Amino acid sequence: MVAMLAAAMLVAVAPQRQTDTTFAVPAGASLSVNNFGGGITVRAWTENRVKVHGDVGRRGRVEVSLVGNTVVVKTGSREGAPSVIDLDITVPQSMGLTLGGTYADITVEGVQGPISAETVNGEINVRGGKGTVTLHSIQGGVTLADASGRIEVNSVNEDIQLSNVTGEIKVETTNGEILLSGIQSSSVDAGTINGDVTYQGTVTDGGSYSFGSHNGDISVSIPERANVTITVATANGDIDASFPLPMTSTAGRHRKTFKIGTGSARMELESFQGDIELRRPQEMRDRIEDHKRDHDNDHDHDFDNDHDSDDNDTSFSFHFDAGTWDYAARYAKAYAPKYAKAYAPLYARTYARAYARTYKRTYRDTDTTSH
Amino acid sequence: MKDIWTNRLSEYIDGELDSTERAALEAHLATCGPCYATLADLRDVVAHAQTLTDREPAKDLWAGIRAGMIPAVRPSDGPTVRPFGRRRFSLTVGQLLAASIALVLLSSGGAYVALRSGPSNVTPSPVADRGPRITPVATWTGPTDAAISDLQATLTQNERRLDTMTVRIVRENLAIIDRAIADARIALQKDPGNAYLNFHLAQTMRRKVELLRRVNDIAAQS
Repeated sequence: MVAMLAAAMLVAVAPQRQTDTTFAVPAGASLSVNNFGGGITVRAWTENRVKVHGDVGRRGRVEVSLVGNTVVVKTGSREGAPSVIDLDITVPQSMGLTLGGTYADITVEGVQGPISAETVNGEINVRGGKGTVTLHSIQGGVTLADASGRIEVNSVNEDIQLSNVTGEIKVETTNGEILLSGIQSSSVDAGTINGDVTYQGTVTDGGSYSFGSHNGDISVSIPERANVTITVATANGDIDASFPLPMTSTAGRHRKTFKIGTGSARMELESFQGDIELRRPQEMRDRIEDHKRDHDNDHDHDFDNDHDSDDNDTSFSFHFDAGTWDYAARYAKAYAPKYAKAYAPLYARTYARAYARTYKRTYRDTDTTSH
Repeated sequence: MKDIWTNRLSEYIDGELDSTERAALEAHLATCGPCYATLADLRDVVAHAQTLTDREPAKDLWAGIRAGMIPAVRPSDGPTVRPFGRRRFSLTVGQLLAASIALVLLSSGGAYVALRSGPSNVTPSPVADRGPRITPVATWTGPTDAAISDLQATLTQNERRLDTMTVRIVRENLAIIDRAIADARIALQKDPGNAYLNFHLAQTMRRKVELLRRVNDIAAQS
């Protein structure tokens, strides 16, 4: 135990450009990481040790300590503005994680403990998680796969995707879509303002399901033998099902109720502007596969970011009136220097990766055609 | 750049617009960057003002400020200049400019200290100490409107702790929510008893409260 503590109390304030430390941890220990900017990647292994690797650059530093039963990893800067530091941490599989950052992309692979991850400007991608899993980002997409327990996922300006998740699920974003597939749950609550909501998963007897959007469509799969009472509400959209729906009541022109089987589960589908679609699971799976394929392609080719059919067309146009130009010009002038200074170091790596991928393909294709 | 809504923004902040006007203005705000920015400025001024202690300004300074403000007083307000101590702000853009300058002069450092002080668990209440005011049409949204107003005022104070990109994203998303709220309010005007619309409005307002709380928390921790 003494050796364990001694190792853990190691303060890795490294003068080098990299920090690398590995130490044993007591059973049931948890991990807390706070990294202002950069990446936090946590992977699981079968050992009872924690390994912390950090690319700290010239000014950065990483501090590792054991506080109670928690391994605490903090990053900082020796001088000046906060440093951008990429952390790669390997932990015992069942370790609980609390990960936080401001400009941090957070990735977790294979951990089977509770996970809490929060960032302001960054993506969160988690595979695994058991118990309470809470993922929050403001400006960044969130994906969660192969998790179970009490799940709460939140973004503000980006999409959320959950796949193969079991448990009680609450998902919310403002300006993004929600895609839930392979869900096994008796309690799902998912809502957005601007974006579609898609659900493919179980509808369990006695369960409670709520899906809502203001401007998007709601698409839900209903298994053949489901027993569910579905309440559908839309102010300006249409309702469509690929199978017969036995209507039981209508409340005003906006709200309708259908009962399938015994009607034991409750499902509420609400969209102010969008359509509501009820589909069979296979239809929905096919659609989700298509959607994911389109989404991947969009990320490579969607120059105007509108997810439409012209995404392979490299020519696009903008239509601005004079007022908009004036507005844009004024703000561009005011904010460009600030943005450039603040974001160049943070996003350089991400853009480099993205462009390398894009241009690698472009040049490979060019090479192929020229030979 | 000036449009029909610009001079109604302070009435909006003070809760003096009726629900139809309010809904229409919120819909407008969702699409009008200049008005949204002006609204943020106006809230900034109000928030600054709440942090000030009442004290007599230097005579020579006040004379200039008053001279700048009196001509813009609405005829309905009569010839009497409203006492500053009431903290009741109904300003045109011109008055806003004058008030901004006055506040910068009067608060020199006071506001800076207030904004720079540690995270506050106490939400300043921009409406609490304004004295008598016109009560808006009573609706069930009143308490939530008040909470949103408080949180928004706090955010106006706090957002300088956040980077400009985050502020922009948050403002855009608040505008998206405002537009949704406005849609729901307008629909409710036509069908007031509709349970779905009432619930939808409540849900959308809750989202706004949560987003504001969350961003305030992030700002407080920054």
